[in-house]
Amino acid sequence: MILVWGALDDPPVTDVLQMLRGRGADVVHLDRGRLGGLDYDISLEPVPRGWIAVDGRRIPLETISAIYLRPEPQPDARPAPASACLLAIAAFLDAVVVNRPAVGRSNLTKPFQLAAIAEAGFTVPPTLVTTDPVAAREFLERHRRVVYKSISGIRSIVGALDASAAERLSGVRTGPVQLQRWIDGIDVRVHVVGERWFATAIQSDATDYRYASRTGDDITIVATDIDGVLGERLVALTRHMGLLVAGIDLRVTADDEWFCFEVNPSPGFTFYEDATGQAIAAAIADLLMHPSRRDRPDATHGPGLTRPGPETKLPQVSDRSRLRHARGRAR
Amino acid sequence: MIVVVGSRHDRIARSLVEALPTAALCGAEDLTRPGWQWPVASPEPARWVVDGRVVDDHEVTGVLVRRTHIYPEELVSTHPDDRAYLAAESTAFLIFVLSRTAARVVNPVAAGALGDEAIRPERWMPLAAAAGLRPAPLRLRPSVTPRASRKPSTVEVVGGTAFGTAPPRLRAGATALAAALQIAYAAFVFDGQGRLVTVSSAHPPGRAARRALASLLAKRSGG
Repeated sequence: MILVWGALDDPPVTDVLQMLRGRGADVVHLDRGRLGGLDYDISLEPVPRGWIAVDGRRIPLETISAIYLRPEPQPDARPAPASACLLAIAAFLDAVVVNRPAVGRSNLTKPFQLAAIAEAGFTVPPTLVTTDPVAAREFLERHRRVVYKSISGIRSIVGALDASAAERLSGVRTGPVQLQRWIDGIDVRVHVVGERWFATAIQSDATDYRYASRTGDDITIVATDIDGVLGERLVALTRHMGLLVAGIDLRVTADDEWFCFEVNPSPGFTFYEDATGQAIAAAIADLLMHPSRRDRPDATHGPGLTRPGPETKLPQVSDRSRLRHARGRAR
Repeated sequence: MIVVVGSRHDRIARSLVEALPTAALCGAEDLTRPGWQWPVASPEPARWVVDGRVVDDHEVTGVLVRRTHIYPEELVSTHPDDRAYLAAESTAFLIFVLSRTAARVVNPVAAGALGDEAIRPERWMPLAAAAGLRPAPLRLRPSVTPRASRKPSTVEVVGGTAFGTAPPRLRAGATALAAALQIAYAAFVFDGQGRLVTVSSAHPPGRAARRALASLLAKRSGG
């Protein structure tokens, strides 16, 4: 049995549900409305025992083979008891869980995650988190153009500053601000699903392409191809962070240098799927229904921060024609 | 220098600052003062603001953390409309700093979480069993209030040494579990049946544990 937890007005949830049902999977769906009627009796121990009951159907924990969760935002900071129970099950159960609640937390502190990405061997943009206006101005002076973005998981629109706006940096004295060197290039979002990956190139004049429609900028989104070595490295990075599915934000420069910005543990992949026809929801459904042994990382796993060995160097992009192809299509 | 990260309203944090030599309190207000700078893939030196003073990271030998979050209500010098956002940003920043400092941080910082939020039951329960301890099952039912353990006993582990009056088997198990969890300071609470109920790094350290902490925090991990 596969448990799907999320709102029916959340496109990734509805797409995954549809794919699972279309494949004949035994699926139980839960959302905030149905949580109120959830009954359960769970004993959390190294091997958890017990059951949950949904609409009168009692489901023993050992029959849950997979969970896909994108819980709705909670009105209160502390989760309701039924939500807390489901989160505990998702944390403890020996099952395929996309994704375990705790492993997604690194995305709640962006520079922490960026450092982990760098330690995994990827190139990241020079970044400074500061409350010091002098340090902020020096950073801007050195890089000429920087972006500022939130540090936490609170979504914010990425903004850009150039040298003419240096005086605005006086404001950093009231709280920490994350500044990052501007990287000129093409955005590539790679969705990793188990062992597979789907690369999407995004071309836009907007500083933050997610908000291109607000700023009146054009945006072009096309499926693209990435070097297989890079794809394998992104699969390894995803696993290194304890995730089975991730949306990884990269940018490739005109010199074929790849920068990695962020690993999103709960990606809204339908934005890219709708634009490209990439079968991401289908891949997630396949992962939930037919996992390999590697898709069942144990619950104690968390993001590793060990430095990579020499064999895990960043891949060089050997097939440049693929990237040129990506740029051509993105434009 | 030893840094105690906590609130000025936390009596235990204040008492630790008094008890630990060269210690100073890094409060929520410090996170909204000018002077912090922490780089990733950039050459700037790492700097804290502690008790209003800018401090280079290499001056800090050890850090003890008495909080898991910065709360909006603490940011009294910030406009009320901005406090929730700034509290979230400051919490995220603090976790980043604690994960990057070259000083010894005795509380766990892992998976983007801090303190007890980084010692999750799904982590410590299997490791406790592997260390020869019996974890107490945690029962979840819709209308059950957890009962307090009768005759609990606590083992404190500081830098691999166990303190407390619990039986040697529990002390040895707690020490092994602390090593498996890679935490330098934690309290392990057992119920009357000798089952492990919880692991916490927020437990106020006892007198012997404070002395051990003072020694541990005064030198860096490699020192």
